[in-house]
Amino acid sequence: MIVRPRLTDFKVIGLYCGKIIIGVGLLMIVPLIVSLAFGEWNAAIDFLVGIAVCLVIGLFTEVFCQTTRDLTWAHGLVVASFSWILATAVGAIPHWLSGHFGSYIDAMFDIMSGYTTTGLFLLQDLDHVSNGLNMWRHLLTYAGGQGIIVIALTFLIRGTAGAYKIYVGEGKDERLLPNVIQTARAIWLISLTYLVVGSAALWAVGMNLGQSPVRAFFHAIWVFMGAWSTGGFAPQSYNILYYHSLIYEIIAIAICIIGSFNFALHWAIWTGKKSEIRKNIEIISFFITMTVAMLITTAGLTKLGVYPDVVSVFRKMFFQVASGHTTTGFSTVYSRTFVVQWGALAMLGITLAMAIGASACSTAGGIKGIRVGLIFKAMSQAIRRLISPESSYVVKKWHHITTRILDEPATYSVMMIVIFYIMTYAVGAIVGVFYGYEPVQALFDSVSAGSNTGLSCGVTSPAMPVLMKIVYIIEMWAGRLEFMSLFALGGYIIALLRGR
Amino acid sequence: MMRHHHIPEILLTLGFSVFLICPIMGAQIPAKGSEAQSSQIVEPSTASIPTEVNSSKLVEEANKWNGHKVVFTGEAVGEHMMRGEKCWIHLNDDAYMWKNIEEGAKLGGYNSGHAIWVDADLVRKITYYGNYLHEGDIVKVIGTFNSVCREHGGDMDIHADTLEIIKIGHPIEQVINSKRALLGGVLFIVSGILFWVRRIAIRRRT
Repeated sequence: MIVRPRLTDFKVIGLYCGKIIIGVGLLMIVPLIVSLAFGEWNAAIDFLVGIAVCLVIGLFTEVFCQTTRDLTWAHGLVVASFSWILATAVGAIPHWLSGHFGSYIDAMFDIMSGYTTTGLFLLQDLDHVSNGLNMWRHLLTYAGGQGIIVIALTFLIRGTAGAYKIYVGEGKDERLLPNVIQTARAIWLISLTYLVVGSAALWAVGMNLGQSPVRAFFHAIWVFMGAWSTGGFAPQSYNILYYHSLIYEIIAIAICIIGSFNFALHWAIWTGKKSEIRKNIEIISFFITMTVAMLITTAGLTKLGVYPDVVSVFRKMFFQVASGHTTTGFSTVYSRTFVVQWGALAMLGITLAMAIGASACSTAGGIKGIRVGLIFKAMSQAIRRLISPESSYVVKKWHHITTRILDEPATYSVMMIVIFYIMTYAVGAIVGVFYGYEPVQALFDSVSAGSNTGLSCGVTSPAMPVLMKIVYIIEMWAGRLEFMSLFALGGYIIALLRGR
Repeated sequence: MMRHHHIPEILLTLGFSVFLICPIMGAQIPAKGSEAQSSQIVEPSTASIPTEVNSSKLVEEANKWNGHKVVFTGEAVGEHMMRGEKCWIHLNDDAYMWKNIEEGAKLGGYNSGHAIWVDADLVRKITYYGNYLHEGDIVKVIGTFNSVCREHGGDMDIHADTLEIIKIGHPIEQVINSKRALLGGVLFIVSGILFWVRRIAIRRRT
């Protein structure tokens, strides 16, 4: 029997969603300060309105949802999925007010893209947006990378037993420390430390490239945020091509790769377990699949003779593949270059990299290295069983922080999530083909959305059909939250309609 | 079972094969790429006459225009980035080159333009670069288009020989949206009241 949710269930969900909306509003203070500092008065007003709307909605929800009840697992998952929709809806206010979007859906598309660290965008005339709006775009992606729930857990939600449940609902299940609030703060400690180091490096290089200290500083912070969160937003429409610098590209891609590693791995290294890098299944999986994607892409590029020398091939190929595999979405080529110069084989190499993605419990998206690694372990186990005597017991071990034995429930849950990802990619591609895009191109952008990458071959644009925009928004959302929270939300809606 | 000490060897083998595959693939199938490119290069006499072209044409027909003298006009955006005696600038020839959104231009899609590699002395003619507070100078360059530039790691760019200012840009006059500011103020007062009500609700609950 399906039990209809009661008022107290809605109250507990509303209370936490309200806190997260207030959190989004408070986050807008940063771009507001930037706009005021640069004398961008109308942009500052847009952020003031955005903050005020967030406070009104958040406080209103809190007032009417006061409860002492703690979260259950179902509540946690519903809060995680529903708060992302609410945070997207209210976060889009400054975007919409800026006048750079054709519709509110377009503005929401960019916000969802930012939170989910995707990097696809429908913003028009990026080269003329305010510094405040640019700060908001990049801050969104930085916050989304750590998880907006993580932010709320860090600053707004006091330690409750239920806190872990919404943390898991956001697609993260690693406890770096015994307490989930401490875990959230540890994630912030790691991210802020890298922010200082990475931005300083990019700032120094930016000034050396001829940027003024102020512009180099802001570009460094924004590019760092785009890279670390594997978001892929950049302050200029030319993306990383704007800087025309190998050293800038190397630093940016290094930050992307480090940012795509599991926070548990970061924490293990921070706490002195350096051998984890060699043993971790995700790292091994990442480097193997990365090499395979590089081989396919290189084969495509050399077959068509796109670049005149090996150095150019390697530079362009490595950057785009690494950007795709870490699900960042930075690029050093024009979007349409993939289609008109790179060709289908190279595009499929990058599509494969994007589909796989990087590490679980990181800022990255995609199927994740750990799942790919486990599937290959399971396949190898199955083959070993076939060729071993019937009486033998084949054991496969895998290492991620601790060494574990591969069992069937783990393989089953991994396979289930992988199937959901493939279905998500396929749905987006089919919708794209339905609207007349070439299959390879439709698949490229659909995988990019579903894996939260952000590379585009030109399919994603303000002119694309509204249904495709909505499908991509859902893909980004589903891919980032890894489906379970969405199913919980769906289940809640069904219970509401059909429960007793 | 695959042991950890095998991993570096596997990675090295796979990585090395990336470098191997370039010359091998290039040697096996030289005709397709190089023929395609050479057949697209126009006769020298034609190539030496600069042709006016826009950015989307250059991207969509990159191989066709590779090595051609082109005339390219667009709004200087961002900033110039000096590299010794040379300099990088970016010219956008999109829907916002004459008037941007802050000045009331209609939405016209993404930005589009090209990176220009030009003498630093010529760049000093540019007064304004387009951003939120400025409409940039409209600049016309004549130079050679490279679909994949050997000198710049395969970037798509234009190596400009001449640079001419068509129109000087200007600071954008900001007309403050007072109605929106008022709306923000009212919403802040409402949120203040709600904050006070929330405190009472929390006190009652506890």
